[in-house]
Amino acid sequence: MDHIIFEVGTALLLVAIASLIAAKLKFSIIPFLMVLGMLVGPHAPIIGIFDFTFIESQEVISFLGRIGVLFLLFYIGLEFSVSKLVKSGRNIVFGGTTYVVLNFVIGLAYGFLVKFPLYETLIIAGMLSVSSTAIVAKVLVDLRRTGNSETELILGMILFDDLFLAVFLSVMSGLLLGGATSVGGILLSVGISMGYMLLFFVIARTATPLLNKLFNIKSNEILIIVVFSLLFFIAGFSEKLHVAEAIGALLFGLALSETVHSKRIEHLVVPFRDFFGAVFFFSFGLSIDPLTLGDAAWIAIGAVLLTILANMIAGMIAGRNADLSHKASTNIGLTVMARGEFTIIVANLGIAAGLMPMLKPFSALYVLILAILGPLLAKESKLIYSGLNKIFKWSKPKEKAQSES
Amino acid sequence: MGTIRESELPGIGKKYQVETDAGDKIVIVIHDDGRREIYHFEKDDPDETISHVTLEDDEARQIASIIGGMTYKPKALDSIQVSLEELVIEWCKVEPSFKCINKTIAELEVRQRTGATILAIVEKGQQKINPGPDDQLRANMTLVMAGERKQIKQLKELLLHG
Repeated sequence: MDHIIFEVGTALLLVAIASLIAAKLKFSIIPFLMVLGMLVGPHAPIIGIFDFTFIESQEVISFLGRIGVLFLLFYIGLEFSVSKLVKSGRNIVFGGTTYVVLNFVIGLAYGFLVKFPLYETLIIAGMLSVSSTAIVAKVLVDLRRTGNSETELILGMILFDDLFLAVFLSVMSGLLLGGATSVGGILLSVGISMGYMLLFFVIARTATPLLNKLFNIKSNEILIIVVFSLLFFIAGFSEKLHVAEAIGALLFGLALSETVHSKRIEHLVVPFRDFFGAVFFFSFGLSIDPLTLGDAAWIAIGAVLLTILANMIAGMIAGRNADLSHKASTNIGLTVMARGEFTIIVANLGIAAGLMPMLKPFSALYVLILAILGPLLAKESKLIYSGLNKIFKWSKPKEKAQSES
Repeated sequence: MGTIRESELPGIGKKYQVETDAGDKIVIVIHDDGRREIYHFEKDDPDETISHVTLEDDEARQIASIIGGMTYKPKALDSIQVSLEELVIEWCKVEPSFKCINKTIAELEVRQRTGATILAIVEKGQQKINPGPDDQLRANMTLVMAGERKQIKQLKELLLHG
């Protein structure tokens, strides 16, 4: 029993080492932590007092990982302000909608093509539609692209994607977790979760002055206690209403996003998001038996190829619509291609609802490939652009670039 | 003065795009963690950066004060702003976004509202010294203004917001 801290400590130490290696290689830590989790886990060797199987501590680690999901989504909610979305330009609305619709429809078609049942198909379509906010932001900063002309559009599209995630998760959790079997029952539970979400949107829009007053707490110590306790309480309460706890966290963040305290709360949350988020990726890896990956390999590779295609097309449509050059439009598709935390969260919802066990290795492989491939493709965008340019003849050689509009 | 475009980068920070009169495109990104980044783009290809600089918060402040002329004010600028005790003469260009455009000096009530005087209006190819109340302000004119420092400031506000 008393080994528990030691076991968790060992696990965290491995997480830390993997993070350091990822940083050395200038890469997103997400794939590293997932692979690490898969490598240790139930199949790992026991060396002396070091037990790398983490069986005893698995419950604790996965609980810490669950907390990671709450913080990840709470932060997204905080960043995602409704007023920002209302103000976002026509180009962002168009680009974001194109992106989500195209990816979702392709996901649906793929699900039916590989003959998955309806719910599994819906989950797969959701997984294919949600880009990784964490990886995209990191790629933009690391590749020093924050100053580029397409950056606002990329981030706006991601914001739209997050909104889609919120709606999708709440509909799906109504569908899957409600446990209803009749059509009326299903409609009721979907209705409850949609209404629950709308309630928070309304709170974010109208109750801001009240929230400003409520959270006007000088001491950081007390603010953090108040915010975190509410975060856990609301997430847990949402679960009772059969709305995924992650959605509860997201909506609570949303409610606070318009307040004057949002920046300060964000600041307090970031270290927790980073730490528990890392444990989340690790614990997801732990839950995967590497031997099952083979079963899902072909389906995952197919989904990856479709995602690359859909993202390139959506990026091109969104970019050209916003009067950006073909080069900038190529960058959009290549940057938003990365998949990560949200895809896993969608998959976890399906797994929690007892859908096909295949979802787990599928999501692991799909995320792993795109979390690695996405940033690499974004980095080599110049090469890819010149390759595509040879096929599509977008722009003539440089001296004639002026006449091209 | 070139145009400055400000935009929000959710999750990253704020972005300012500056196009200078000389035709250079510069982008300044202020990260939420305090870092600043400056990008300089190629003139004929706005998608390609020539160079970029990353600054920590304190470095950025120091460099801002150097660029802002707080440590050393170039002599050449003295001819633009002549200061005689309290009296200041200053040049101001009417940008297309200003609210004063297409209004006459009388309509704007320049004297009554600010106390400053417009000494001359300089336009491409022509100039008018000592303009009358019926003279209309148009975009891209340069105004020569005289008055006390406070009055000049008010006049600039008036030009900008109408």
